[in-house]
Amino acid sequence: MKQNLHFQDADAFYEQLLDAHAGLSREEAELLNARLILLLANQIGDAKVLKACIEAAQRVPS
Amino acid sequence: MSLTTYRETAHTNSYEFTSGAGYVLPEYEFVPPPELKSATMVRHPIVIVGGGITGLTLACSLARLGVKAVLLDEDNTVGVKGASSRGICYTQKSLEIFQRLGIFERIAAKGTQWSVGRTFAGDDEVYNFDLRQQGNFHLSSQPPFINIQQFYIEAFLVDRVQELGAVELRWQNRLTAFEQNADVATLTVETPAGSYRIEAEHVIDATGSNSPLRKWLNVPFDSRRGDDRWCIADVRFTTHPPAERHTWIEAPFNENRAVWQHLMADDVWRIDYQMAPNADPAYVSREDVVRERLARQFGPDVGVEIVWVGPYAYRSECVHAMRHGRVYLMGDSAKVVSPFGARGGNTGVADADNLAWKLAAVLRGKADAALLQSYQDERLEAAQQNVCVTNRTARFLRPADGSERVFRQAAIGLAKQYPFARSLINTGRMAVANPYSQSSACTYAPGSAAGQSVQNVPFAWADGTAGQVNDLLNWAQGDLLVLVFGDLAPAALQRLRRLCLDAPVRSVQVLGTDVPAQTVEHVRDPKGHLQGACHVFGHAWALVRPDGYLAATGETINARLVAAIERSLGLRGEKTP
Repeated sequence: MKQNLHFQDADAFYEQLLDAHAGLSREEAELLNARLILLLANQIGDAKVLKACIEAAQRVPS
Repeated sequence: MSLTTYRETAHTNSYEFTSGAGYVLPEYEFVPPPELKSATMVRHPIVIVGGGITGLTLACSLARLGVKAVLLDEDNTVGVKGASSRGICYTQKSLEIFQRLGIFERIAAKGTQWSVGRTFAGDDEVYNFDLRQQGNFHLSSQPPFINIQQFYIEAFLVDRVQELGAVELRWQNRLTAFEQNADVATLTVETPAGSYRIEAEHVIDATGSNSPLRKWLNVPFDSRRGDDRWCIADVRFTTHPPAERHTWIEAPFNENRAVWQHLMADDVWRIDYQMAPNADPAYVSREDVVRERLARQFGPDVGVEIVWVGPYAYRSECVHAMRHGRVYLMGDSAKVVSPFGARGGNTGVADADNLAWKLAAVLRGKADAALLQSYQDERLEAAQQNVCVTNRTARFLRPADGSERVFRQAAIGLAKQYPFARSLINTGRMAVANPYSQSSACTYAPGSAAGQSVQNVPFAWADGTAGQVNDLLNWAQGDLLVLVFGDLAPAALQRLRRLCLDAPVRSVQVLGTDVPAQTVEHVRDPKGHLQGACHVFGHAWALVRPDGYLAATGETINARLVAAIERSLGLRGEKTP
């Protein structure tokens, strides 16, 4: 799992992500996120990286 | 283990309700066993308890090898009383096993072949597959799948066992007590003519998901139950749906719950409806309710004859060990899975095929008793794998409310647009010949396909006539088979001959079309199917077991081959370093 910056344009991605959620209900946002996770996960593909990412997401304090 | 409160319903193969025309099942005569009148205790080498598909496959496999055994069944027929249905879908590997046992032709004549499956969500087809276009399914002499009611296969096995002899089938013989010590197991059996006791060296528990032996032995197991409820309707139609497997994840005609539509013998269709969680089994299986449900799917004008109705809930269970002293657990006694992917009955058939040749080799003095440990290595791995795979399917089909349902909705939506997401749609992963990755009887090496099943592919005999892998296994009569690909150096040839004299091994040279043969026992593999099935290239050898699994592969006839043979006979305890 990459821990250092890999985004070409982190700010632009973050903005696109927020724009995509603008005006959505909680349910709609949940579904959008789920679709996005599945699409992105397929881009990664590598089982070890995906597992590491899920575990990393679980570890982060909320 | 997750516990939910729900009305107690029948699990998997113990259906409580049947209706419809049903089937006429064969009945077998009770014959008073000789032990009823005998004053001395009789000791049998093998006693099989349970005459379902698993127990009967084992009985038939042993009979074929000429090994004596006794099978006890509490009933006087195959199937469950009440014209029950149970399993319907048999894999290529099971069909290959049945071919070896000599009942494949009857299964093929009675059953229905299929290879096309379609999955729908709402009114849209999400994806479809044709198994004949996939992988190597087309190379075997057996089709990818045949659908047939389970009791037909059981009845064919009974006929075959009676034809072969060696194994005695005892109907209406119920096991009522069991004990074992270091020397022997003792069984108490009840019959219509009284009870008797027998001793056994090896006891096979093929009694199924409600195994009494498992309870008596306090066998530890993992268990998982949910609130998912289904109701099967086996029906005949006046108009026929296509000969394909159709699955709906969300069927508009079933309140957006799942539906399975599968064909089988006698023009009977199995329509399996997912019910609301915790649905009342008595209500959902009432005839008028079933008819209304069928009319919603097929239209009010389609004539429907109900053959059988069975509401069920499934559970998943897996024991921690498949051998307990002299007792070997097999089929549903060892693991219970949801029906998705046909991983129940087919696993039982493979369990039986795995243990049969090992018991035969040990009892004939050709292998060490340590070989029997590999049954547990191999089939527990298979059981755990099948439980894992079917649990994933069950979770997809009955997602928990909240995130699980959201992810399923996302996956279905994406699958309609993008090919990658179709692989997330899980309506059952069809059963396969489970590979063995950590068996004490297999010799692993990088690049070797040891532990994998060899398909029943065709080749040509020396005289040009057609043969198949099963012919070679039959010819080996329970001994190991060394296939040697390509020509041999004189010294290697000598070593191979020596080996076949000293060990329960038979060797066959496999050659291309025009290469001169160096051994009497040789076959031609012009298209390389046999080589491909053994996953070897160029000059190589493959050690094939009587169950059609690869014990090892290698390149030269050397000490590695000798060690691999010893390991596959239980003569080397340690696993491959």
